[in-house]
Amino acid sequence: MRSKCLLAAVLLVFASASVALAQSDCSKIVPPSPWGPNDQTGATNRVTPAVTKAAAAEIQEGKVVAMSYPLTDGIPLFGTRFTKSILTATSLAPGAAFGENQLTYMEDTWLSQSHVGTHLDGLGHIGRKDCYFNQIAMGKFINQNNMTKLGLEHINTFATRGVLVDMVKVFKAAGKFKGNSACKRDCLDKGTVITAADIQAGLKMYNATLREGDIVILHTGWGNLFEQFPAQNATYNSGEPGIGKDAANWLVAQKIVAVGSDTWAVEVIPGEDPKEAFIVHNILITDAGIHILENVRTDLMAAEADRTHRATFFFGMTVPKAVGLTGNFVGIEGIR
Amino acid sequence: MSFWPPLVALLAASVVTQPSAPVAQERRYTIAFANLTEEAGVTLEGTGFTGREVRESFQLAARLLPVDLVLYDNRRDSKAALDNAADAIRRKVDLYIQYHHDAATNAEIGQRLRAASIPVLAINEPVPDAPLYTADNIAAGRIAGEALGAFAERAWRGHAVRAVVVGNLGARDDRVPERVQGVVDGLTRHLPAIRITRVDTQGNPARIGELLGRFVASQPGKKLLVATMDDASALAAKSALEAAGRLADGAIVGHGADRSVHGGVSDHKEIDPSNRGSIVIGSVAFYLDRYGYDVLPLALRMLRGAPVPPRTVTRHTLITAANVFIEYPPYDMQ
Repeated sequence: MRSKCLLAAVLLVFASASVALAQSDCSKIVPPSPWGPNDQTGATNRVTPAVTKAAAAEIQEGKVVAMSYPLTDGIPLFGTRFTKSILTATSLAPGAAFGENQLTYMEDTWLSQSHVGTHLDGLGHIGRKDCYFNQIAMGKFINQNNMTKLGLEHINTFATRGVLVDMVKVFKAAGKFKGNSACKRDCLDKGTVITAADIQAGLKMYNATLREGDIVILHTGWGNLFEQFPAQNATYNSGEPGIGKDAANWLVAQKIVAVGSDTWAVEVIPGEDPKEAFIVHNILITDAGIHILENVRTDLMAAEADRTHRATFFFGMTVPKAVGLTGNFVGIEGIR
Repeated sequence: MSFWPPLVALLAASVVTQPSAPVAQERRYTIAFANLTEEAGVTLEGTGFTGREVRESFQLAARLLPVDLVLYDNRRDSKAALDNAADAIRRKVDLYIQYHHDAATNAEIGQRLRAASIPVLAINEPVPDAPLYTADNIAAGRIAGEALGAFAERAWRGHAVRAVVVGNLGARDDRVPERVQGVVDGLTRHLPAIRITRVDTQGNPARIGELLGRFVASQPGKKLLVATMDDASALAAKSALEAAGRLADGAIVGHGADRSVHGGVSDHKEIDPSNRGSIVIGSVAFYLDRYGYDVLPLALRMLRGAPVPPRTVTRHTLITAANVFIEYPPYDMQ
């Protein structure tokens, strides 16, 4: 009897915990996925073989442009995030080599959160209350180690076309450029709102139009502060230029796969409404399954676009099949 | 974001915002904002907010409005305020927002702007015949008093309870006496027989430890409701109770809800979701860092000929550990 009572109590505690974590009717909070009720893949559903094949036509010179920043201790990190790398090199000590062939080895311990450096925000990164992409009540699908839904393992390929939009050029051409003296090259100042009209103006500059399955990369110049790490880390993190709600909604309507920028959040900080928290993240990730790419190195591709008057490229990025992760650092290359 | 050249006394006006929203053919307006003061370290309205925070709120709010701002610093100086208005008249701005605490100067400025057919909107100190946007100190004080009274009813039923009002109680420019009156109204609504003691720091919060410590020592065995007129005083009051070994006997509500009491996820300040047990129950928000978001839409309504009430007040709210991240969303999620 006593053990039955104990079992009942334990079950009650678990049941209560489950209820506490999943309190919302997510059908009223988040729209359904256009790819069906079981979808956990989101916008990468758009990267079909036809899309990848069409994107391959962007490779004309075989030139590879780096679009990632170095991942190392000391780069600017959001909030209290940290990185710490530790090298294991014990076999280099005298007498520690293995076998007659004197094999030695080294490896690393990398301690950090997953959302550091140039990284991808997965679909399990951002929600409203306990409701995430495709109306999934995530309180039921998490444990202390990871998520059991919406992990990176469900994402499709990102082998698609990238389109660079040079916001510095747009704001200069419109006579509304306001920079920041901490940047060594032109950058939009923090708090600068990028609208749908601004993105459209940037596309027009290079005679580009968006098509379904594209990845949009915005060059704001703010990433120059990242390049100066650690000297300008505080300034880099203090705010940023970025897209507002109008631009986010327009990008959703273009049926893209991801939006990236040389900033730590892609969206304008401080935001348009002081009572909203990272609302563009909600619009893109939670509501539309569109990924966000943060701390993307954009200056080299911006220079390339300026030189060739072509802003499109083959977007190369692989994401580890990291089961249950909300995001991860990535390497990106634009191939032309 | 800092472009205001220090010590550019007179009329250092600059057009600082540019159109960024695709407002189809909508007319843009040039609106002047003459701030009370931008002097570093000077706080406004008896709260912890600075003039810089007020000015930045206008810049942020203007980003998506059809507004070009011209910014002035009245420097709490009537001559500077008059010169700023004269410059705005020369520039033929569409509307002038005046934030200055001198009634006579405001009347003079109102007259000159009216003669130039420039509408005026006043902040916190009236300009005759101009709509006023203002803090509502009585309402704010009432929120604080009611929060403390409700806490005592809930947590200290059957205990002997005293109340104490702490701060620069005589600061009339900042309308602190109205705040005190509101606190008294709110407290007595819940606890009609409560004894309320006033501890006046006369503008020196460093005296709180000594003054409040003395009061606390004179109230052994009593529970103490502490209403402070600003956030710095709330933190000092907490320290005084702690020093007296009476933390368990106190509950504090401040006014302002400035950055000294709340912050981001990583800051762990006094009012924080992870600090729900603090005896600083909360602070009544004055939102000086959001004035621009309230005032510029009023200005636009005036310019478009829509009716504007003669008096619009700040929507004061009690900021607690339960709502601080909703009212002030942090940027540093972790």
